[in-house]
Amino acid sequence: MLQSFLSYMNSTVTPGEAGNYIWATIYILVIFAMISLCVIIMNWGERKALAHFQIRLGPMRVGPHGLLQPFADAIKLMTKEDIMPAQADKLAYWMAPYVVLVAVFTTYTVIPFGRTHAVTDMNIGIMFILGVASLEVLGIVLAGWASNSHYPLLGSLRSSAQMVSYEVAMGLTVISAIMMTSLNETGVGTLSMIGIVLAQYEQGAWFIFKFFPLGLIAFAIFAIAMVAETNRAPFDLPEAESELVAGFHTEYSGFRWSLFMLGEYAAMIAVSSVATTLWLGGWMRPFPNWLAGPTWDFIFSLFPAITFLILAGLTFYNVARMPKHPAFKIQTAGLAVFGALLGFIGLVFLIPAVRVRIFDIYWFMIKVAIFMYLYIWYRATWPRYRFDQLMKVGWKVLLPTALGVLILTAVVGVLR
Amino acid sequence: MSLAPLLRKVLLVDLLKGLSVTFKYQHPKEIQTEQYPMQRPEIAERYRGLPRLNVNPDNAQTLCIACDLCAIACPEHLIVVKSERNPTTKRKELISWTVDVSRCMFCGLCEEACSTDALELSQDYEFATYDRNHFILDRETLEKGTQPTVYEK
Repeated sequence: MLQSFLSYMNSTVTPGEAGNYIWATIYILVIFAMISLCVIIMNWGERKALAHFQIRLGPMRVGPHGLLQPFADAIKLMTKEDIMPAQADKLAYWMAPYVVLVAVFTTYTVIPFGRTHAVTDMNIGIMFILGVASLEVLGIVLAGWASNSHYPLLGSLRSSAQMVSYEVAMGLTVISAIMMTSLNETGVGTLSMIGIVLAQYEQGAWFIFKFFPLGLIAFAIFAIAMVAETNRAPFDLPEAESELVAGFHTEYSGFRWSLFMLGEYAAMIAVSSVATTLWLGGWMRPFPNWLAGPTWDFIFSLFPAITFLILAGLTFYNVARMPKHPAFKIQTAGLAVFGALLGFIGLVFLIPAVRVRIFDIYWFMIKVAIFMYLYIWYRATWPRYRFDQLMKVGWKVLLPTALGVLILTAVVGVLR
Repeated sequence: MSLAPLLRKVLLVDLLKGLSVTFKYQHPKEIQTEQYPMQRPEIAERYRGLPRLNVNPDNAQTLCIACDLCAIACPEHLIVVKSERNPTTKRKELISWTVDVSRCMFCGLCEEACSTDALELSQDYEFATYDRNHFILDRETLEKGTQPTVYEK
């Protein structure tokens, strides 16, 4: 057992492919913990960034610059009373948040954070993701129906209509990306998430730049549809606070509500990961073919460490700028510890063994983080669509365009 | 539909314009929030806040001559001036001067009535207390002003 545990250390495939159950379990736990951590960070980041977009400061009091705000929120949510409406359907009401959560976190089994950093590599990876992710609608419909209240019901009706319509356009663009994988020689196309990234490496281009502008249009359609899929502004009709209080989770409170939030943010990260994998080259660093060679590999593998060291430096700069009043002593110390932690992580990433294993995760996370920022940016900028406009965009604009792109991709691919 | 509006729609020009506007707002200099106890608002010079009784800077004696004009001017009769004639100097001397700011509307009529510039409405605005009776301010408080805790940024 120990033998199989250690022998995987030098492996070049995912634990699922190697048939190593111990490491697969470890990966599942690590991914679950890391995604939850990312959701917590995202919670703080969204409140801060949204505030800055709206010329406010955002959380400033709980910890330096509100750094501990998400933990305060978490404690509040855990200790809050968990109310179940008297007329609610008990089983469905209890089940709904877990259905959403399980559906979202199951998609992470095939998302590759690096060549070796995925739970497993499924030969139907992208179909698996699309299939499992659409189960999320079930959870939302269950929540709306079981609450036995009119706002949640309206919210879940809107949600199901919206998610079903945008899934069509989304699926078509995904097909056009999958077709691009079989271009160099026909018959080698793949649905595996790792295979799609490797195909982009072999063809020497991210699929977003493939057959310009076809790849770009397909990516744009996916980027719009994925915002609608995750019920985020400007397509946040299912939870439109000005119309439906909070939509499908109006009747939920405390821990269950936080599960819905966790599910929503994890779904945002999941679809962003899919977009990254399909069009933005997944875990690959910029210019893997053009700037090839051990020297460039070394330079690019230093990026994670440099990023963390810069973050640590910025933190220490802000420690020096903290107010000197005794009331701020603990906050200043806390910020210094945080900076030291960032610096320590940066130094760990300089170790060669860690460096070569970590840098693909880093590039993947950078790409996903850009999507996360875009989500907040959209929310800060655009007003919500009316429901008929939403349907019009989905069925009359995105669907025909996606079909056109699909056909053109096929034609160009065959002609080449 | 003519070409230009169509292109605008297809290339999402208006949406991108909106994005660029909100992006610029992220600059720290745009932030409007005031972190109140550490960062205080600038009060206009003619703001009518808490009344203040001025003292003569040369001899630290009050400028008030207990003429009672402010009490007469006050539309709400909130000012009570108590005085006593000093038998040796034959002058009226101030014993106590109170004002009930809980009902004061800061109209400034008392300030205008004062003939010696002793009474003035200052720029102080922080006088929240835990008790209604604390709003009846005595001469000592009015000469010193309320002294709120100062926080540093």
